This record gives sequence, C-alpha cells and structure tokens, in this order.
Amino acid sequence: GWLPALQLLRRGSKAVTRHWKAAHFQRQKLLALTEYLPPRPALPPRCLPRPAPPQQQEDGYARVLRAQLEATLRASRMVAVCQYNAMAEEDMATLRHFLRRHNIHVKFVLNEVARAVLAQSRLQNLLPLFVCRNILLVSPEPRAREMLRVLRGVPQVNLLGACIDDTILSRQGVENLARLPSLEVCQGQTVAALSLLPSQTCSLLQRGPAHLAALLEQHIRRLRGAGGAAEPPPGPGTA
Amino acid sequence: GPGGVAVPRAGLKKWTLPPDYSGITIPEKPKLKFMDKVPAVPKVRREPRRLRDIRGPSQVDTDFTQGQYGILALGGGYLHWGHFEMIRLTIGRSIDPKSMFAVWRVPAPYKSVTRKSLGHRMGGGKGPIDRYVTAVKSGRLVVEVGGRCEFGEVRPFLERVAQKLPFPAVAVSRESLQEMRREEEQRRLDNQNPWTFERVVTSNMLGMRKYLSPYDLQLKGRYWGKFFLKHRV
Repeated sequence: GWLPALQLLRRGSKAVTRHWKAAHFQRQKLLALTEYLPPRPALPPRCLPRPAPPQQQEDGYARVLRAQLEATLRASRMVAVCQYNAMAEEDMATLRHFLRRHNIHVKFVLNEVARAVLAQSRLQNLLPLFVCRNILLVSPEPRAREMLRVLRGVPQVNLLGACIDDTILSRQGVENLARLPSLEVCQGQTVAALSLLPSQTCSLLQRGPAHLAALLEQHIRRLRGAGGAAEPPPGPGTA
Repeated sequence: GPGGVAVPRAGLKKWTLPPDYSGITIPEKPKLKFMDKVPAVPKVRREPRRLRDIRGPSQVDTDFTQGQYGILALGGGYLHWGHFEMIRLTIGRSIDPKSMFAVWRVPAPYKSVTRKSLGHRMGGGKGPIDRYVTAVKSGRLVVEVGGRCEFGEVRPFLERVAQKLPFPAVAVSRESLQEMRREEEQRRLDNQNPWTFERVVTSNMLGMRKYLSPYDLQLKGRYWGKFFLKHRV
C-alpha cells in the first residue's frame, strides 16, 4: 500500500532546528532558480548626466539680508567695493570711525547674498568683484577724495571698484574723480568759459575806434614835436 | 569665480529648526517593567515543544504603538529571563527617565521548557520543567523606546542589545522600518526573474511540493526553520 509521508520524519531532525538544516537538493535547486534578479536598464545610470541637485530651500535669513542690501544700495549715492584682509579689531574700529566722520558706512557683505542682489539690479558689471572677502563702503554723498585718503592709510583694505552717481568706475576712475575739482568750481569754470567770448565782444567792437584814436594821438604828438611854433591844427573831436 | 581666484570659505550658515517633540508624553513609569522568571501561576502540565511558534513571520506586534524606536527581530527564537534582565538593565542604564521611556512588546515568559538531567540515557518520561521562555517570531518588535530623543542617540545601545539576543535583530525607527518595507516591496515588484518560489509552489511545477513543506505555501521560500532569509524576494 501507500505509506504516508510521515515515514520521512523518521530520519533527520524536525523542521525548526537551532542549526541550519541541510535542504533537499531539489529545494536548493529551486531556491537557486528563483533568486532575485535586479533590473538592468539599457543605459546604466552612471552613463546618464548627473541629476540636478535638489533645490536648496529658500532661507529666510538670506532673504532678510538681501532685502537689507537692496535698501542700502537704493539709499546711497556712492557704493565702493573693497577687498578686506584680516586686520585687528581696533584698527577696524579706527577705520570705521574715520570713515563715519565723512558719513561713509562700512558694511560687510556675503558673496552669495551680494551676487543674488546684483544679478537683478543694474550693477551687473560689479559681479566679478565679489569673489573674496569684501566690504562695501556706502554713503549718501560722493566723497571720493576723503575715502581714498583714509584707505591709503590702511593697507589691508584695497579698493576694487565703485558705483558713484549711477556710474561704474574702476580704481583709476575713482582716483581721477577724486582729483576733479568740486561741483561748484566746475560750474563756475564752465560759466566763465562760456562767457569768455561775450565778454570780449565789447573790447572787439571798440578795437577800431581805439586804434584810430591811438593813431591820431601819435600824429598829434609828432606834429607838436616837429613844429613847436606852428599851431596845432584843430583836430576833430573824437566820438 | 569669474575674474579671480576663489578662496574657499564658508557661506551663509543654514539654521535648521530643532526637532518638534510637542506630541510626545512620557508615561509615569518610563523604565521597563520587571519580568518574572516564572509566571504567577506556574504550569503543572508539561507542554509539548510546539516549535511552530518560532517558525515563519510574526502576525502580532509588528508595528510601533507608543515609541519611535525599537528592536526588530529578524529571526525566530526563545527569550528567557536572562535575556529580559539584560534588556531591562541595559536600556534602564542608557535612557534618561525624565525625557525618554521604554515599553515591552513581548510578554513575560509563559511557555514552559523541560530538560532532562545530564548524563542519563533516553527514556524515563519527559523531564521536569527547567525554565520558562517567550517565543518570538521574525518581524516582531521586542522593545520600543520613545521620548525626546533622536535615532542617533538611541541606536548605539539598541544595537548592543540587539546583538546579544539569541536571534538576529536590528535597531529600527519608524522611518527606517517603513523604508525597509518599501524596499522589500519594490524588490518584489521589479524582480526580473519570471520564476518565483511562490509561483512554482502554488502551481506545483515539476512536482516540487514533494520536496517542500505545505508550510512553504505561506512561507514562500523566505523562511527556513527559524531563520529569516532577508536576501530572498
């Protein structure tokens, strides 16, 4: 007859053992056949371009700093970008004091904030300057001469460029600007130059009659000198 | 950058918000309860071995209830009083009862295990009760830890406890358990092998059921005895 499969339990251990029970060969073959095969795409992922990094979340603090910088740039007529090297705290305080005397404010800016702000504004040509540690000297009045004088005494701060009265200037430009006379003097010079010709009109008009008068005077003198006895002829009254 | 040599330096500091522990309440007894060696009513009748309470996946206590972190069993086994004391004392030493708590997810030892005295031959009846144990199947949580703490703080001592258990175990958090399950599911879905153990067994291809157990219909080749085969899909 047919014996039940319980006969198989006579040999070997139970189903659950402490050791790893040796499996029947057919079972081993089945397990080897039914192993997991990972998907193989036609193009391996390392040949594809790198996926774009996840967009950084908008930082509230960065937004605040950018708003502050935009307000500063809008409110100031002169903005000078300088490179800042490490200097002592007291030297920095002294520099700030001297610049404050001429109403120039020193602001430390972070490059990532500055780049974001300048990219949107019209000062895009100042973008290449924001590479290393920078400070901004901002002022509502364009005091280039005083600023240069103060900065000359501080070797750790180097002027890179400036935007004065909506004009972007390099270091040379700022120096030239400093050498220019002040606005009132320029205006006076312009007025003087323009009014030079009209002022000469009067003397130009008088040149003919003045020349004639001089000639007649000369003639009178010669006649007086030549004929002392002879009476001077009645000269016509000059107009 | 353009126009000059860029000196690498730190940019704007990114402030991260501290973790939010608002919904966490610490129970009155944050430490693990003491588990008895022997149940209050010890068994009179010696019970059969019934190793099927070790075999296969666990149907109970597979998800988190109170805590955020825990120890997951990746194999079957029996926990006895020594293990319970080790877990209780290690976790009690490592957690701060004011801000963290721990909870058992396994019952106290209830199953009596007999042992014959050493050096005697077979026969003479079943041995007396030697100790009581708790059966743990794979996929079950053993302890849960929670409170105002991060996984990084909790993981070292949970891993140490997990290594000392008689079955393979791992320290998990809610997110890591979810991730584990999701990855398992994804592996099952994107398996390129058209032949799966489940398919072969359910349709008895090539008469395979002669060499396999009827339990393999449920275990599907992922369990062998008390062992859990993690690499199998």
